[in-house]
Amino acid sequence: MKIGLEVHVALPTKSKLFCRCSADASEEPNTAICPICMGFPGSKPMLNREAVRMALSIARALGCKTPSNISFLRKIYFYPDLPKSFQITQLEEAVGREGLVEYKERGVRIRRVQIEEDPAKIVRGDEYTLLDFNRSGVPLVEIVTEPDISGEDDLRDFMTELRSILYYLGVDIERELKVDLNISLAEQRVEVKNITGIKNIADAAHYEIERQEGLIREHRAIAAETRSYNEEKMSTVQSREKESNEEYGFIYEPDLATYDVSDIVPEDPVYATRIADSYAKGFHANAQQIREAILFNRDTLRLIDASKDSNEMRIVMNGIAILQRHKALDIEEGEFLRLLELLRNGTEIDAGIIRRLRLGEEININMRANLDELDDEIRKTIENEGALIEEYKSNKKVFNFLVGKIAKKYKASPRYVSERLRLILEGEEKGHRAL
Amino acid sequence: MSSIREFSKREKPEDYYLRLVEELKKLNNSLNAFSVINEGLSSGMPFSVKDNICVEGIETTASSKVLKGYIPPFSATAVERMLASGFGFLGKTNMDEFGFGTFGLNSEKEARNPFDEKYVAGGSSSGAAIATSILRYHIAIAESTGGSIAAPAAFCGVVGFTPTYGVVSRYGLIDYANSLDKIGIVARSAEDIEETLEIIKGRDRYDTTCTGRALGREPRKRIFIIKELMEGVDESIKSHFTGFAERLKGMGYAVEERSVSGMEKAIAAYYVIAMAEASTNLAKYTGYKYGLKNEKYSEHYNEFFTNAREHFGIEAKRRIILGTFIRSASVRDRYYYKALRLRAELLARMEPLLEEGFVLAPVMPIKVPKIDEAKGLSPLEMYKADMLTIPPNLAGLPHVSFPYAYIGGMPLGAQLMTSHFNDYSILGVVKEWERVFTYRFRYNIGSL
Ligand SMILES: [Zn+2]
Repeated sequence: MKIGLEVHVALPTKSKLFCRCSADASEEPNTAICPICMGFPGSKPMLNREAVRMALSIARALGCKTPSNISFLRKIYFYPDLPKSFQITQLEEAVGREGLVEYKERGVRIRRVQIEEDPAKIVRGDEYTLLDFNRSGVPLVEIVTEPDISGEDDLRDFMTELRSILYYLGVDIERELKVDLNISLAEQRVEVKNITGIKNIADAAHYEIERQEGLIREHRAIAAETRSYNEEKMSTVQSREKESNEEYGFIYEPDLATYDVSDIVPEDPVYATRIADSYAKGFHANAQQIREAILFNRDTLRLIDASKDSNEMRIVMNGIAILQRHKALDIEEGEFLRLLELLRNGTEIDAGIIRRLRLGEEININMRANLDELDDEIRKTIENEGALIEEYKSNKKVFNFLVGKIAKKYKASPRYVSERLRLILEGEEKGHRAL
Repeated sequence: MSSIREFSKREKPEDYYLRLVEELKKLNNSLNAFSVINEGLSSGMPFSVKDNICVEGIETTASSKVLKGYIPPFSATAVERMLASGFGFLGKTNMDEFGFGTFGLNSEKEARNPFDEKYVAGGSSSGAAIATSILRYHIAIAESTGGSIAAPAAFCGVVGFTPTYGVVSRYGLIDYANSLDKIGIVARSAEDIEETLEIIKGRDRYDTTCTGRALGREPRKRIFIIKELMEGVDESIKSHFTGFAERLKGMGYAVEERSVSGMEKAIAAYYVIAMAEASTNLAKYTGYKYGLKNEKYSEHYNEFFTNAREHFGIEAKRRIILGTFIRSASVRDRYYYKALRLRAELLARMEPLLEEGFVLAPVMPIKVPKIDEAKGLSPLEMYKADMLTIPPNLAGLPHVSFPYAYIGGMPLGAQLMTSHFNDYSILGVVKEWERVFTYRFRYNIGSL
């Protein structure tokens, strides 16, 4: 089985690819527009350098060769969402070629990474069609793989890896994603176009694989065709409109000439899977757990990085889980290290403590004292204050007095001391040592 | 003194602009130089703008019915720079639809030659050249793709300058063929052109190909006449042109004949690139965003677009069909890519020659034709009339067209070309020529 993908992702630039309009397509329809993204006669494209930088970063992260000069093409077709009746895109001199994405000890080759502009958005009603040109000219990157994906599980793993790599370059494909899927179980290649969202990719592939398997079982021919995915029915149907590269009449985009990108510095990639694996190995921790925590979360990766010398991945992961529960993963590294200390000292972490940590407040627990030492001190106090101890059950003030005294002496949190004191007193009563 | 400086110094009567506009409107009825005349003009040296260059708030149609009613919300960079320098916008000048034409006849109103209305004015910047020929103080902002400045300048007896590709921003120019289009200047003297070029040239971030490289003034003592270019020139012109070359010798230039092979392929390469690009540029006119609107929104988009595109003129349709064919996958290598290679080869062959000297040629291979004669030409004969203006345009070389003789009262134009970015040097030669040769004008509207 051979599966290849064409993945279209929107780049999170402030402005559009060829003009200064906001690239935030969620604005009031047809307000983020200008003569350039409306294709008005007389306008010319101005290339957004930041979009090129992001695209170059993606190409580099996917192991592509990146040229020193890029050029653009006009892809001509008539459709109401395309203001110039051609899309500015790339082919031969794209930002990236011949890359490789490695995961789980295998690899998928990348044929090409190219920059292109998004067409306008079409909103269809029963009696009308509306066009929103806010989306026209939003920068997209198209990632074209070789047909190296071997099945549904592999497809899922590849998408996870791709999503993580893109996530760390600031591109969140969970927000917006369009994919064309090529699946061939036999000789003929079937293309499933315009699948949106990560979940639908797996569903579309699942349906298409079963469909083709069924045809093979019945010894029927698989037609080389373009199909589209129906999200509601979770099935693929033959497309009405046939498309092929032969009909686009490509020529160079002469307004952009060749564009020198040799002085653009791309962002360094982060391969979270590899990092998770190396931490898991180094600390004998659960790779899957680390991977889940850091694949799509730069805060957790940052916290793990900050505490990698702590040698206790179990406590680190526990700390992360607690912060996740309290939605406080954006905590600063220094504060996280203090949190780990608290955890080591057995402090119960609640919202209050997290708040005080983040405010930079001193939390009154003796960081250096370890659990046993403090317990010993508490026992010593109990012995010395023998008479008072007798009263602690009937008189709450006596208990609080003791807690205060110990807490002050050992710079420990009253809350913690009171807990230990109660446990020790109760344990002593029962004749065995608590905890 | 340039007429720009002269105009700024001279005292103007109070009703100067009113009378100017009145006289111009009258003459325009017979010559069709302007598609729009700004009756509100009240200050500054008048400048006109070819109708394929946007002026904010002024209907800009590139002489095409499909753009009827298009009022651009912005001005071309060149226009903004002229206005900022104190020039006064006089109007939009007539042209062949989208620049497709050599004679100024592919327009709703055919352009007529100011020396004799029975003759063509040349195209596609026909109105720019006519306006320059009839107005005493005036600068025309025009545009050339394959000779659209040099040809009408030669036929109307004025000076037409096409800068190196990328020297003047094309922002605001309605595209014909983006890799060939150049905004340039038509005026009555090389000095006026030089002063105007100073204003409109220079980097513009709205046009990526406009880099703002400094322009040279490197003089050359030698002038080359390319044998292959002279082969197709009409006998009736040749003797006049030889006489002109002799006069240049008298001015101290060494005039030599040289051979450059492959020149004959320039026309084919030019039309292939121009049509390929033009067919993509014209794709945007689908009748629902600007210009002529096709209001039948109940139709399927295919029919809707088809109906809107019926309004293109015949030459535009021809170029859309040929251009689309050239771009199709089965022949793209044979035509489009080959033409790109030929363009590079032609430049490579001309560059060494241009390092040594200027290249001189007649602008048109024929005398100014009568309108009826020109109408009888087949498309191929029409394209052939561009054989001398295409080489510098295809190679993006700066060139200037200027009158050097008159036969039967009609002007003859020569063109001088030089290497990329050496734009000022050829204007220097024309300035020298203007000291020994006086241009003729039949009208002088706006004299002071
Ligand atoms: Zn815009």
